[in-house]
Amino acid sequence: MTCKEFQEILPEIIDGGQTIEQESHWKSCGECSNLVADLTLISEQATRLRAADVPSPRVWNAIEIALREEGLINHGHSGLAVMPAHGRRWTMRWLVPAAAALLLSFGVVDYYMAKHQPQTQVAEISPTANVSNPVDAEDSQLLEAVALNAPSMRATYEANLRDVNSYIRDAEDSARMNPSDEDAQHLVMEAYAQKNMIYEMALDRSLR
Amino acid sequence: MATARKLQGGELSETEAIERARQGDANAFEALYDLHKRRVYSLCLRMTANAAEAEDLTQEAFLQLFRKIGTFRGESAFSTWLHRMAVNVVLMRLRKKNLPVVPLDDPLETEEESSRKEPGGPDQKLAGSVDRMEIQRAVDALPPGYRTIFVLHDVEGYEHNEIATLVGCSIGNSKSQLHKARMKLRDLLKTSRAAKAQTQ
Repeated sequence: MTCKEFQEILPEIIDGGQTIEQESHWKSCGECSNLVADLTLISEQATRLRAADVPSPRVWNAIEIALREEGLINHGHSGLAVMPAHGRRWTMRWLVPAAAALLLSFGVVDYYMAKHQPQTQVAEISPTANVSNPVDAEDSQLLEAVALNAPSMRATYEANLRDVNSYIRDAEDSARMNPSDEDAQHLVMEAYAQKNMIYEMALDRSLR
Repeated sequence: MATARKLQGGELSETEAIERARQGDANAFEALYDLHKRRVYSLCLRMTANAAEAEDLTQEAFLQLFRKIGTFRGESAFSTWLHRMAVNVVLMRLRKKNLPVVPLDDPLETEEESSRKEPGGPDQKLAGSVDRMEIQRAVDALPPGYRTIFVLHDVEGYEHNEIATLVGCSIGNSKSQLHKARMKLRDLLKTSRAAKAQTQ
């Protein structure tokens, strides 16, 4: 058997067995022997790449947001601990509906301000206090609550809040510039709803 | 069948998590994600060689799965179902980007060409071990078509008949492309070692 003949049937040899003739060539030929050893080694080592890497926390974060938006996560069935361990958790529970109401009211107020103010004046109105900074005082309180119970998630939530605040600013700017554009105003509401969802998720997490 | 693996510190089996996820339990979804995220993300990362895209695809694969979790009947392993879905999501993305899922016709180099390219001559051998980072870099450097076949067979353990169905090629094609992929990997590993030796 020649090296060429041997190498033509190499895939079968690596994945299965070999005949006596093939084995005899393999043992007597240094080059083919090295080739078989290398390809076997590569094939064996490849399994070490399985499940070797971990996605960043923002992947689950994005999945959870999508599941909530699509209504696949049932709000009344979060599976969280029914009895919180200490009083601080109880005192924070009211924040979920409160934050939701607050954020939506900012959205509604902004929606009507953008709709009813003359365009020249609206452009001068500064954005509402809670979205003017990348992460404001309320957001910082929320991040502290997250950091207490899920420190690894703090950075992810901070990034999410920055993103959604920026989205709110852009949407509000667009609504001010185009007060009669219903799509622009719908975007404002959607942006606030997203922020509301982030608050809800973060508080869910911090209450676990 | 979905396994009875215990999730969430031993409180929940995979079967229970699936059942609770069907009812909209956020913790059950997260438990299922935690159990399978490494395998799915690594598969996406190996096949695309791009971390941002792999995260995007991981997200898409899990979302597709969770949307259909109500239809999961448990006749097959949950992990098999999920991984098959992840592979399909990646292949669809590659096709959308017009990247070849099956290697383009690229006849294997002749022995002569191969020997000429090998650093240190034909008797050079990969010295007994290849570390994970080395092989990871080499797999990332493979052309997309070769990478798909190699990852599916040697990393993920799919059989040639399954690969043929998934990517739409013949079993013989899958076998020959896998061999070419391994040969290219060998070249890449040798070249990288030779380059490293020269800088030291």
